[in-house]
Amino acid sequence: MSETTGKKTGELLLKVRGLSKNFGGVRAVIGVDFDLHQGELLGLIGPNGSGKTTLVNLITGFVKPTDGRVEYRGKNITGLMPYKIARLGIARTFQMAKPFADLPAYKNIVIPLYSPRVRGLSGGRYGDRDSVAKDLLEDVGFERDSSVTFKAAGSLPHGYLKRLELAKCLALRADLIILDELFSGLSIAELASIVPIIEKMMMEGKTIIMIEHRLRELFRIADRVIVLNFGQIIANGKPTEVMESDEVKHAYLGTED
Amino acid sequence: MLEVTIIYGFINSIILALIALGFSLTFGISGVSNFSYGAMYIMAGYAVWIMINLLGLPFALAAILSVILTALFGLALYRFVLLRVRGMVISEVIATFGVGLAILELFRYLGFTGFEYTLPVFTDGSVMIGDTYIDHQRLWIVGVGISLAIGLYLFTRYTKTGLAFRGIAQDEKTALSLGINSDRVAGLSVAFGSGLAAIAAILILPRGTISVNEGYDVLINAMAVCIIGGLGSTVGVIVASFMIGYAQMITDAFSGPHWKMIVSLVAILIILLVKPSGLFGKQKELEERI
Repeated sequence: MSETTGKKTGELLLKVRGLSKNFGGVRAVIGVDFDLHQGELLGLIGPNGSGKTTLVNLITGFVKPTDGRVEYRGKNITGLMPYKIARLGIARTFQMAKPFADLPAYKNIVIPLYSPRVRGLSGGRYGDRDSVAKDLLEDVGFERDSSVTFKAAGSLPHGYLKRLELAKCLALRADLIILDELFSGLSIAELASIVPIIEKMMMEGKTIIMIEHRLRELFRIADRVIVLNFGQIIANGKPTEVMESDEVKHAYLGTED
Repeated sequence: MLEVTIIYGFINSIILALIALGFSLTFGISGVSNFSYGAMYIMAGYAVWIMINLLGLPFALAAILSVILTALFGLALYRFVLLRVRGMVISEVIATFGVGLAILELFRYLGFTGFEYTLPVFTDGSVMIGDTYIDHQRLWIVGVGISLAIGLYLFTRYTKTGLAFRGIAQDEKTALSLGINSDRVAGLSVAFGSGLAAIAAILILPRGTISVNEGYDVLINAMAVCIIGGLGSTVGVIVASFMIGYAQMITDAFSGPHWKMIVSLVAILIILLVKPSGLFGKQKELEERI
């Protein structure tokens, strides 16, 4: 099985080797190897409990690996604290959107704007952060200066929460963005408006990993798909190729229509 | 009589708010219940006394140094004790209470008891409001207390650290994912809370002598206010301070001072039975608890 297929548009961004995690006796992730290049959109799929979120937690430092190594831009980031990994430019969202519920939506974006990473990238000059935050919210589809921008994030409708998550990643000026089930719970109309935002992020050279259960929508935009089952990679390739694999059909789709 | 009760009830309420503010701030941000809070309050008082009487420093300098040292002590408490038990609530309570116990009883052991342990008032004198005498120190307490509450409100809304405080308070995972060093912020929150305890001590202690036992009373009062107002809620702290403050003063005026502490304790019991999260605290959703 080729581990590193897919388009190689840019430099090697993320290199994962032998990554494993045991929770007591449960082997949640077992010896995962993959590479990710600048500008790729990688789909991460697999049945529930196959280790997708744990894999993301291992990469972003929220869970310490039992074994293995993660390199980002050639730097070993295995087991670093999550905030340090975030400051290197890896942003992530959570399966259950986790806004700062009592803060107005735009203040949720101001917090990452204060990050040392953003200060470093903007040469110390940042102007009015409130207004930059509102610009970013507009980029992800909040109507400019509409009341929703000023509402407490905890009271936002589901679709806006998902957009808010995207805006946070953009505010951090992340190069690698990991989206955990961004599409879940969105209506077809909401999807139709959120997909272009991701496409725009791709055009700006972002690298994206998406954990998804909504395969139809994912396959339209993904360059490459990795399939996990029981913590192991069982397929890694273009969406169409991966779905041809008997192992994938059997393990993941089962009696899929 | 009524006028005295109203004015002194107001002052008493501000004193309670001052005492509870730091305890509430630390909990509100990092979820840490600092049970050494009362000990820090007393320690700050003794620190000022030692700097004035043994080291010969001027009062203002001693007061500033004491606030800084107490805040640094809070930072060290987080770094060397709390960090290791973070997230295990029972361990946090036991560890901080143990540290507090050690501090208070060490002062007792060293013989820091007696009438000579007093702090100077800021300015001497008194004013009359109607027929009621109020000494300057109580005016200082009211002025600084109100300024601190307003300052904290502005701080948490308009500064970088204040926003980080609120971020951590609401979701530590998200804060981490956005590049906030949550341990550093939580350590700062303990330091801020401790510094506030020191400020409260320097303002309030000149009214009497510094005594080890008051450390325990301060902790009970801070907890009473926070439990009734809702842990971590600044509005709750202020409302609860006024409720208990006036209730204590009215009991004092009509039934005698020994009933004062009973008021706080009974109020805690009633609130715990009726609304355990406090008046302004958030009850966790079923989904978060299971």
